[in-house]
Amino acid sequence: MHRRFHSLQFRLALRLALLFIGATALAFGILAYRAYETAGSLNDRELSLRAEDLASSVRLDDARNPLAELPPSLVRAYSVGAALYAIRTPGGQVIAASSPSFADRVRGWPPPGEDPSYFRLTGFKDGKNYYGLSISLESTAGPLWVSVAEAGEANTLVQSLLWEFGTDLTWIIPLFTLVTLAIGVIAIRGGLKPVKAVAAMAAAIGPEATSVRLPEKNLPTEIAPLVHAINHALDRLDQGFAVQREFTANAAHELRTPLAIITGALESLPATGELTGLKSDVTRMNRLVEQLLRVARLDAISLEMSDTVNLEAVASEVVANMAPWAVAQGRAIAFADSQRPVCIVGNAHAVGDAIRNVVENAVLYAPEGDEIEVRVGDDLTVSVADRGPGIPVDDRERIFDRFWRGKGSGVEGAGLGLSIIREIMLRHGGSVQVKENPGGGTIFVLAFPTGPGSETLVGSASASRR
Amino acid sequence: MRLLVVEDEPRMAQILQAALEAADFTVDVVGTGGDAREALSMVPYDAAVLDLGLPDGDGMLLLRALRRDGNRVPILILTARDTVEDRVGGLDAGADDYLVKPFALAEVIARIKALLRRPGGALGTTLAAGNVLFDTIGRDVRVDDRPIPLSRRESTILEHLMRRLGRVVPKSVLEEKLYGYGEELESNAVPVHVHHLRRKLIDAGANAEIHTVRGIGYLLTETKS
Repeated sequence: MHRRFHSLQFRLALRLALLFIGATALAFGILAYRAYETAGSLNDRELSLRAEDLASSVRLDDARNPLAELPPSLVRAYSVGAALYAIRTPGGQVIAASSPSFADRVRGWPPPGEDPSYFRLTGFKDGKNYYGLSISLESTAGPLWVSVAEAGEANTLVQSLLWEFGTDLTWIIPLFTLVTLAIGVIAIRGGLKPVKAVAAMAAAIGPEATSVRLPEKNLPTEIAPLVHAINHALDRLDQGFAVQREFTANAAHELRTPLAIITGALESLPATGELTGLKSDVTRMNRLVEQLLRVARLDAISLEMSDTVNLEAVASEVVANMAPWAVAQGRAIAFADSQRPVCIVGNAHAVGDAIRNVVENAVLYAPEGDEIEVRVGDDLTVSVADRGPGIPVDDRERIFDRFWRGKGSGVEGAGLGLSIIREIMLRHGGSVQVKENPGGGTIFVLAFPTGPGSETLVGSASASRR
Repeated sequence: MRLLVVEDEPRMAQILQAALEAADFTVDVVGTGGDAREALSMVPYDAAVLDLGLPDGDGMLLLRALRRDGNRVPILILTARDTVEDRVGGLDAGADDYLVKPFALAEVIARIKALLRRPGGALGTTLAAGNVLFDTIGRDVRVDDRPIPLSRRESTILEHLMRRLGRVVPKSVLEEKLYGYGEELESNAVPVHVHHLRRKLIDAGANAEIHTVRGIGYLLTETKS
């Protein structure tokens, strides 16, 4: 849930929604204000006209007193009670009024000017509120003070207008909001599509593949700086890795000379039990350094993978080279060929290293007097079988982790050999599998991928037969 | 027999010298390429052990310079570098053999002896493995100085195993050595001869043993006494 609040889509939607609500409220407010204002000024003008109508209906009677003679239409209009009027002479005497109560009220009012003065009346028995104006007007009967008022509910028109407008807007605004949001979301999704592709590439970056850089093309300009910065960070990491690898390689290298000195010095000492122990310690150290060196070399060098590697030739050479050591360990070693060359494309040196590590591992774990068999198969495999204690199913994946070591194996090792094998096989697009040896022990199978360039040379064998 | 050890690491030089002297060689030690050239120009050494990492330049340069000058002394290279390029480079530059650190002193001695046994080498014609001696001229094999009778094919096999003591000799190589081009090859010939040879060595109390590397070939080792 928390992640959703950080999504660009969510943030955009939230802000746009708030904006729309705010804008709608503001627009509605301004509209209402304007409508009321316009309605007010219309009202004022209407009242002024009425006042003038009233003033024009007053004339002087025979006694030269002002007399209001309202036309019947006006009388009818004022009789409804929605409007009030009162006409006074400049002396303050009311000569006509819509009702006596209004006349009573008006009687005490101050004289109005030639500009209208507005008033609001409350406290009538019928509970109505009135809004009106008083103005001093010239008429045939001389100056007159006219007051007219209208019940406050006259603004219902404006209110109903606003209400209608409001109900119209309330469904149009959410519709617009939704459309805008949809456009925003689509734009964001479209813009972020290259980002997903970049993320997939970034996921592939690891200690084994530090040279990968993320593409900066086709990215939204907002994201490009981030990717650019990440690429720079990767450059720095890559350099750091390179230094680290170089260090490991150099360290392993520099360790060899002192190790050679110790090995030699121990050989020239008179044999004692303590010396035997020391020798095996140094042997272990030697193995560790060798393996570190191989790991460092694997990490440091992008393998040249274009050799045509004859698995038969490489495997038999490894067996021949390791036989003296295996014999010295009290183990025999055998090679079973596939009767014809089995070729893959890859790095011969690395493949040899992988086979060497498997054989080394098998020799160390096989019981004394056992024979380790290295077999090259037509199906592009090299398998190494021993009659050792076997490997529990649960451990068969983990044994390939760097520095992993089985419990209670009794074999001194750094746990690097098998990780080297896996690394080399991965680089070749192949795999290493651990199987049970029927009748006890383990079979390691190095399986190379079938592909262009890899072949068992059946064709040439049959060609030579023709 | 006189050897030159070119090694700048004093402890390494000391240990090599002690081990080689224990193996009855006369050993001179120098620490720089310059000294090595001077020594080699003055003394007719039987072989030289050369460390590639020297303070005054690469041992490889020294090697090339020596060969350019026509010096044919057998040279065993010792180095911490072990890539294929380094090995090939060393051998191309004129080295006769190559050992990567760390190494067993016994192997250094064995390799030097192998160099000296090469045609024209100083060790002449007698091969040795443990208490087994093989006179390549008289075709005479002795265990603890007692002669043991071997057939022609058995002694040919033993000779090649002894020439590559401690290393695997491919069965195909032995087949080539045993049978000329015209000769028909019996399918089981080599294993049968090796079997007989092994029996005879055991019966004679030899402390050298033939191991079979099934599918590849054979390996002669000195048994630990």
